[in-house]
Amino acid sequence: MDTYSDIELVGLSVDGDAEAFEYLVKRHYMTVYKVSYKWCGVREDAEDIAQEVFVKLARRLKTFGRKSSFRTWLYRITVNTAKDFSRKAATKRVYEAAFVSEQVLNNPSPLKDEHIEADRLYKSIDILPEKQKAAVLLVFGEGLSHREASQVLNCPEATVSWRIYQAKKRLKKSLEHEI
Amino acid sequence: MTEENDKLKRLLNTIHIPEPDEEAGKRALTAAMAEFQQLKEAEEKKVKGFSWIRRLTDKTLRGGPVMNRQLVITAGTVFSIILMVIVMMPDFMSYRKRSISLPPQETMQEADFKQAEPTPRLKKRSSSASPARHLFVASEQRLADKAERLDQTYVGRDRFETVTPNPVNRVAEEPVSTFSIDVDTASYAFVRRSLNNGTLPQKNAVRIEELINYFDYDYPLPDDRSIPFKPTVALFPTPWNPDTKLLHIGIKGFDIIARKRPRSNLVFLIDVSGSMKNRDKLPLLKNAFRMLVDTLDPGDSVAIIVYAGAAGTVLEPVKVKEKGKILAALDRLSAGGSTAGGEGIRQAYALAEANFDPHGVNRVILATDGDFNVGIRNPEELQGFVERKRETGIFLTVLGFGQGNYNDALMQKLAQNGNGVAAYIDTLNEARKVLVDEAHATLFTIARDVKIQIEFNPAKVAEYRLIGYETRRLRREDFNNDLVDAGDVGAGHSVTAIYEITPTGSTVRRLDDLRYGKAETTGPERVEESGEYAFLKIRYKLPEAKASRLLERAVGKESEYQSLDSAPGEARFASAVAAFGQLLRGDSYLKDFTYDDVITIAEPIRGKDRFGYRAEFLNLVRLAKTARAMGDN
Repeated sequence: MDTYSDIELVGLSVDGDAEAFEYLVKRHYMTVYKVSYKWCGVREDAEDIAQEVFVKLARRLKTFGRKSSFRTWLYRITVNTAKDFSRKAATKRVYEAAFVSEQVLNNPSPLKDEHIEADRLYKSIDILPEKQKAAVLLVFGEGLSHREASQVLNCPEATVSWRIYQAKKRLKKSLEHEI
Repeated sequence: MTEENDKLKRLLNTIHIPEPDEEAGKRALTAAMAEFQQLKEAEEKKVKGFSWIRRLTDKTLRGGPVMNRQLVITAGTVFSIILMVIVMMPDFMSYRKRSISLPPQETMQEADFKQAEPTPRLKKRSSSASPARHLFVASEQRLADKAERLDQTYVGRDRFETVTPNPVNRVAEEPVSTFSIDVDTASYAFVRRSLNNGTLPQKNAVRIEELINYFDYDYPLPDDRSIPFKPTVALFPTPWNPDTKLLHIGIKGFDIIARKRPRSNLVFLIDVSGSMKNRDKLPLLKNAFRMLVDTLDPGDSVAIIVYAGAAGTVLEPVKVKEKGKILAALDRLSAGGSTAGGEGIRQAYALAEANFDPHGVNRVILATDGDFNVGIRNPEELQGFVERKRETGIFLTVLGFGQGNYNDALMQKLAQNGNGVAAYIDTLNEARKVLVDEAHATLFTIARDVKIQIEFNPAKVAEYRLIGYETRRLRREDFNNDLVDAGDVGAGHSVTAIYEITPTGSTVRRLDDLRYGKAETTGPERVEESGEYAFLKIRYKLPEAKASRLLERAVGKESEYQSLDSAPGEARFASAVAAFGQLLRGDSYLKDFTYDDVITIAEPIRGKDRFGYRAEFLNLVRLAKTARAMGDN
C-alpha cells in the first residue's frame, strides 16, 4: 500500500476497495488533525474535526476531480469543516496548557520567548476574519504557496495575496499593541 | 518582507501540538469506514442484492487490491476468521456534534461575557471542562429521550416498563378478554437473581405470566400432528379467595423429533462492549453459546458478529461440523468499548439473509447486557427494523445478561417484534435451560401469532380478571385480524393463562351492578343456560402460513373441580406461581395469603422436575420471605 499514491488510493476506494480507503485515512489522519489543531487550539475539538473530515472524505470520494492534488482537496475539506465547527462551537484556544510545554516553561531560554510570541500570534489570528485566518494558516502554517492556497480556498490567487496582506497588517498591529 | 514571512512561518510551527487521543483516532477511522461501507452497500444493493457480503469477504481475504486473486477462489470454501470493522453508527457523529452545540444557556452566558469583556482574548475556558460537559449533556439527553419514549421506571439502573395489574372486569359490560400469549421467561430469572442477592425485585420486573411460563407443564399433547397444540382447561377454587374461582388454560406444543429437525442458520450477535467484562456476562455467555453449539447438528450453520464501539463479523457462516472454528472464535472474544447494538443488529440480519435457508430456521440470537448506546438508539426505529425483518423469515432471540444496566423494556420490545423469545441468563444453569433443554423451543417455532380470546357467560360469571399478560393485552377486534402480531409457541413450549373469576350470585363481588345497565339482553342464540362458564378461542398460524387457524372449545362443568386438592397438579402449581408473582408485586387481590401458603400449595406438586426448577422455586419463595425491599437497609 505504501507504494500507492494518494490518487491511486482514491481510485481504488472509488471502486469499493475498503482497504485502500482505510490506508488513505491512516496516511492523512495526523496531517488533518494538526491542521485542525492549529485552527482551533483544543485537542478534543481537533479530534472531532478530523473525524468529520474523514467521514466527509468517504462521502465525497467520487467528486474528487483529478485536476487538483489530493492534498489540496483534503485541505479544503479540513478548512471548511473547521470553519463550520468553530461557528457552531464557541470553544476557545487553551493557551498555556497546550501551546507551551511545561519543559519549555521551566527552562528559561530564548525558546521560551518564541513560544510566548507564537502563543500571542495565534490569539491574534483567532480574531482575524475567517477568510484571512484560513489564508494565513495555509500559507504560513502549512507552507502552501499563494497559488496552492487559492486552489484550496477556491478563489483567485490575487485574492489570497490580498487577504494575506490584510491579515499581516492586522497581526502587526495587534502584536505591537500587545507589546 | 520575507523576513517577516519567515518569522510568521516559524512562529506558527513553534507550537506544541498534543498527540491526539488514540481512541479518537480509532473512532475517526471507524466512522469514516462506516460511512464508506454504508455508501458502498447502498450502491451495491441497488445493483446486486445481497451478494455484497460475499464480495466483502473476498476483498478482505484478498489482503490487498493487487494480491493474488486466485488465493480467494481456492480459499473460497474455507472461510477463515476475519475481524473486520464494517459499519458503525452513522449518527454517532451527529450525536457528538449535537452534544457539543447543545447547551443554550452556555452560549447565553458567553454572549453576556463578551459584552462585559471587550477583549475576547482574555476569555478563557478550561479545556478539561468541555469534554466532560459534552458527555454529561449527552447522557442526560439520552436518558431523557428514552424515558419519554418508553415510560420506564428507573430503580437501580435496570430498566423495566411500568406495569399496572389488569383490572377486574364486569362480564355484563366487557364479556370478552383478548390477549397474546407470552413464552418469555426473562422475568423469572431476573426475580431469582434479585432474591438470591437478598433483595426483593422491583415490582415492574415481575411479569407474572413469565414466572408461570418459566416452568414446563405436563399438559396433554394433541393426538394429531396437524394441530400444534391443544388447550387444557381447569376451573377450581382460588387458593387465596374462597369466593372466587380460577380458570386455568394451558397449552403445550408438540416437540420436534430430532430427525425431523429443520436445519438451523444461526447468527450469534454478541455484545462485547466494556460493560460485558463481568464474570456473569461475557464469560457466562461464551459458556452458554458453547453449550448451544454442542446441541446443534453438523449441517446447521453458525456465524458470529460482535459489536462494541463498532460492529464486525468475527465468524462467517460455518457449518457446525467445523465446530472447532466456532469454539475458537468464541474463545477469542473479549470485552471493551461502547455499544453499537443497532448497527450490530443490522449486520446480523444481513448475514442471516445472505445465508438464508428457505427450508430451515433462520434466527439471530442477540446476547447483551442491555443498553444500545450507539448506532440506532431510538427504540422505535430498532423495533421497526426488527419487525420488517420478521417478514423476511428471520426471527430474533434475545438473551439478557448481567445486572446493573439491564434494559428489559427494550429487550422485550425487540423480541416481541422480532417473533422471538426474550430470556434472561443469570447462571450457567439458566443458560442450559434456555439453550440446551429448551433449545427446540427456543429455535423452532411451531405456531406463530398465537392469540387467546375468552368470552365469559354472564349467566355464570359476574367478574373476571386476567392474571399477568398486562403487556400482552389485545383489542377485541385484533383477534380476528391476522395482521396483528402476537406471541409464538416453540416446539415443546407450554403456555399458561389464569383468570380469577367471580361466579354470579357471589356476595363478594368487587364491582357493583350498574343502576341503569340492562341486566340481560336476549338474542336468538344465547347459550347462557347451558351451564358453560366461558367459550375459549385460540388463533394461531402454522410457521409458514399467512392465514390463521382457529381452535375453539367451551368451558363447562366437565372442567370444574370442586376443591383445590382435586384440581390437576399442574394447574395448582401454576396457581401457586401466580400467587407468588402477585405477592412480589404487592397486588391487592391476595387478602391474607402469604409466602408460606404458596409453599404449602406448591410443595406436594413437584412433578417430574427433571432439572430441579420447581425445587428451586420453593427456595425462592423462602428467600422472598426474608428479602429486603429495594432501598431498605
